[in-house]
Amino acid sequence: MTEVYTGAAASFWRVMAVARRHGYVFQRSPHRLFDVVVWPAVDVVLFGSIGVFAAGRAGTAASQVALYLLVGVVLWHVVYQAQIALATGFLEETWSRSVMSLMVTPMREWEYVVGVALFGMVKLVLGVGAVALIAWFAYAFSITSLGLGLLPVAALLLATGWAIALFVIGLVLRFGAGAEALAWGILFVVMPLSGTFYPVSALPGILRPIGEALPTTHAFAAGRAFARGAPMPWHELGVAAVGTAVLLVVALAYLGWMLRVFRARGLVTRYS
Amino acid sequence: MLPPAALRATGLVKDYRRGRAVDGVDLTVAPGERVALLGPNGAGKTTTLLMCLGAVTPDAGTVEILGHRLPRERTRAMAGVGFGAGYLPLPDRMRVIEYLRMYGRLAGLRRPDDAARAALERFGAPHLAPAMGTEMSSGQKTLVGIAKAILHRPSLLVLDEPTASLDPDIALRVRTALREISDTGGAALLVTSHNMVEVERLCERVVFLSAGRVVADGTPDEITERFGRDDLEGVFLHLAELRDREGALR
Repeated sequence: MTEVYTGAAASFWRVMAVARRHGYVFQRSPHRLFDVVVWPAVDVVLFGSIGVFAAGRAGTAASQVALYLLVGVVLWHVVYQAQIALATGFLEETWSRSVMSLMVTPMREWEYVVGVALFGMVKLVLGVGAVALIAWFAYAFSITSLGLGLLPVAALLLATGWAIALFVIGLVLRFGAGAEALAWGILFVVMPLSGTFYPVSALPGILRPIGEALPTTHAFAAGRAFARGAPMPWHELGVAAVGTAVLLVVALAYLGWMLRVFRARGLVTRYS
Repeated sequence: MLPPAALRATGLVKDYRRGRAVDGVDLTVAPGERVALLGPNGAGKTTTLLMCLGAVTPDAGTVEILGHRLPRERTRAMAGVGFGAGYLPLPDRMRVIEYLRMYGRLAGLRRPDDAARAALERFGAPHLAPAMGTEMSSGQKTLVGIAKAILHRPSLLVLDEPTASLDPDIALRVRTALREISDTGGAALLVTSHNMVEVERLCERVVFLSAGRVVADGTPDEITERFGRDDLEGVFLHLAELRDREGALR
């Protein structure tokens, strides 16, 4: 008699199985270190050095620029790593043509997403850890200087990263390999519009409304407020939380719709 | 009370942009029955199979697996299904034992490693357990794919071209193991293959599709007799010729 788990225990082990599968892939794919460690290190050196250069030239007022750049680059990697880990996790299934095999198992879609996101947290800790450590060693900036305020800001950026990844997965399901580039590229559209390194008022007037509408803009603004020791930025946190919740709901609805289209059009044959 | 059919598909229809791929297919597989789904290229076999597995949504018709209706009860239905296809690769960056363990867990097994080793043993391939996906021949990958399909002792085993890249001796071993799984374990088999000899040896019932419709359903002997051919290969060639002629007329 084959002994099987049922209910929540079965779900738990399915989530763990998916997370472990992505652990194996990561362990055996040294090139993935570029996303997780190398690019984050390049970013922090680039933006940290620009900040130090600007501060040296313009004096005290510009030292805030250095602070903004360093806070921005560390927080940026929360949203980036969360997004890239989940989106490339799904892409891995398309590259290895595992989509069909996974679909013919008792696994539910949410179990798969949670499994990939769970291992994505490992990548996130590595990536953000690398950025934070380099910022500390090279530029004497400690991300812990944001205090407990770091937690809600990081949580909001994490959720935004996942929401964008769900949207990318939906696009890949619908449009196939042609949409893959978005896994890496989509956030580089979001970054300047979100005022990652500067207040959104620095954007050209035509782009400001778009920036204001993004939850990431308010999360970064809250992060900067914490960094300069301003009082709790309740308004920014509140807007970011509502925006992130809306984005997650929209992304989940879009993914559900794309899954239905994927099944209705027989698109699984692309991966078999 | 009779157990539910392993598979009951009724009135399946699927239209793609290029036309109708499946046109009102009814397909029932009884518990423990070994059925082959055959037909020339473009007959609608793969689409039918994918609809039966819930990977493609039919435009019309219903699918029930072990009494569970798709897509509503997909998770319960899939717990009783094993699926393997000769054309599906193994992930490059996983060892065979890791791959089988993962699918064992997805099927809910408490002891996936034991099940994985038993499945490999059954096909005479226990030595493959530590191998990486990239280190194996296509035949070995196919064997591992079939081992994955039987891991959790499914009640319905769906195999698409299961022995396509296997040497004759290994193919024989697979057929023998599949018969045994069906005879002793009571698993129903739904197999597609282009190897008619294999079908005659493995399956007790054959369903022929052509242009998206069921054109014959019976034992291999009944079908060859009905079409006035010596064997299933003769029937296959006859249907392929008809399809080509119809295509030329269009």
